Amino acid sequence: MKYKEELIKAMNWLGEKEDVLFLGQACKVSGHSISSTITDVPQERRIELPVFEEMQLGMSTGLALEGFTTVTIYPRFDFFILACNQLVNHLDKMQEMSKGDMRPRVIIRVSVGSKQPLDAGPQHTQNHTEAFRKMLTNVNVIELLEPEQIFPAFKEAYEREDNRPTLIVEHGEFYVTK
Amino acid sequence: MKVYIPSHLKKIRDVKTTPTELIAFEEKVAEHYENGSIRGPIHLAKNNEEHLIQIFKYIDKEDWVFVPWRNHYQAILHGVSKDKLFKSICEGNSMHTNNISPNFYSSSIVGGIIPLAVGVAMALKRKNLNKKVWCFVGDMTMETGGFYEAYKYCKNFDLPLEWVIEDNNMSVHTPTIMAWSKKQEIPDDVIYYEYTMGYPHHGTGKWVNF
Repeated sequence: MKYKEELIKAMNWLGEKEDVLFLGQACKVSGHSISSTITDVPQERRIELPVFEEMQLGMSTGLALEGFTTVTIYPRFDFFILACNQLVNHLDKMQEMSKGDMRPRVIIRVSVGSKQPLDAGPQHTQNHTEAFRKMLTNVNVIELLEPEQIFPAFKEAYEREDNRPTLIVEHGEFYVTK
Repeated sequence: MKVYIPSHLKKIRDVKTTPTELIAFEEKVAEHYENGSIRGPIHLAKNNEEHLIQIFKYIDKEDWVFVPWRNHYQAILHGVSKDKLFKSICEGNSMHTNNISPNFYSSSIVGGIIPLAVGVAMALKRKNLNKKVWCFVGDMTMETGGFYEAYKYCKNFDLPLEWVIEDNNMSVHTPTIMAWSKKQEIPDDVIYYEYTMGYPHHGTGKWVNF
């Protein structure tokens, strides 16, 4: 059981679901480590987006309000923090603000940049998992440290009946070391 | 009273709500706020009743409507029950009128509704539904980068989203024209109207002892 293989397995499983859409940069084309895990997902399920991190998460939430399940992809945690407003003020609070009427199912994939063999530096390797756990009240936060966590984490994120959104943090370094 | 309506829009709705009914609703909220029975911020509307009634003649009851914190008029005009709305306001949720039927979402974060509105519009297009999204934003929000990237994206991908610019030349207490020096030109494919606020940004203008 390898880290990257489990990610591919989870994405292929999600890619078979009629309601699942994948959004982000290098989603339809190659470009970063996450891109390499969704190459078998049908092209029509993948939406290539411009650089607008906050807009991306809001769009992912909006699509989910109309019944889609969105897998929204951020190749670096450092980039994802630009989407903080949509995460903390909207997606995390939407069930509370709508008294449970609005329960968008959004799965966020965020990668922590690797430091080996190249150290990508202070703006490409940050891991804010614990900070986000403290900030969020409704979004479920999972950090994928071992391969065996991966498929069950995505399966639960898709199947959970309470529709709580899930932030799944992965590590680029583990693609080759685990 | 003047509202600019782009030529591609057609009237499709018979709006029966009158300006008097809208004003009376806000006065009732104001009264309850002043007697201390509403334990949350309120943002009341006044002087834009006729503008909004005219605009809602173009909005189908099945459409999605996104509105900022000052949302009571739009909620009533889109079909949210006045009783339900008033109860929600009394529970402190004036800024968060979020209903799934009718499709209505409001937020107290400047520009926060814009990305959500774009996502819903994309969903409607992918599902080939004959529905639209209407996104109401103030004049200060229209000046932000978030508005322009969303406006450009919707136009480029022909998403079913209509913009409504509500210009009171004010962001909380900051006059937009003072802060930006001048305003951007209004695109010719958005709904636009100007009005002068009839209430302060928050509250009623009277001191309330809670």
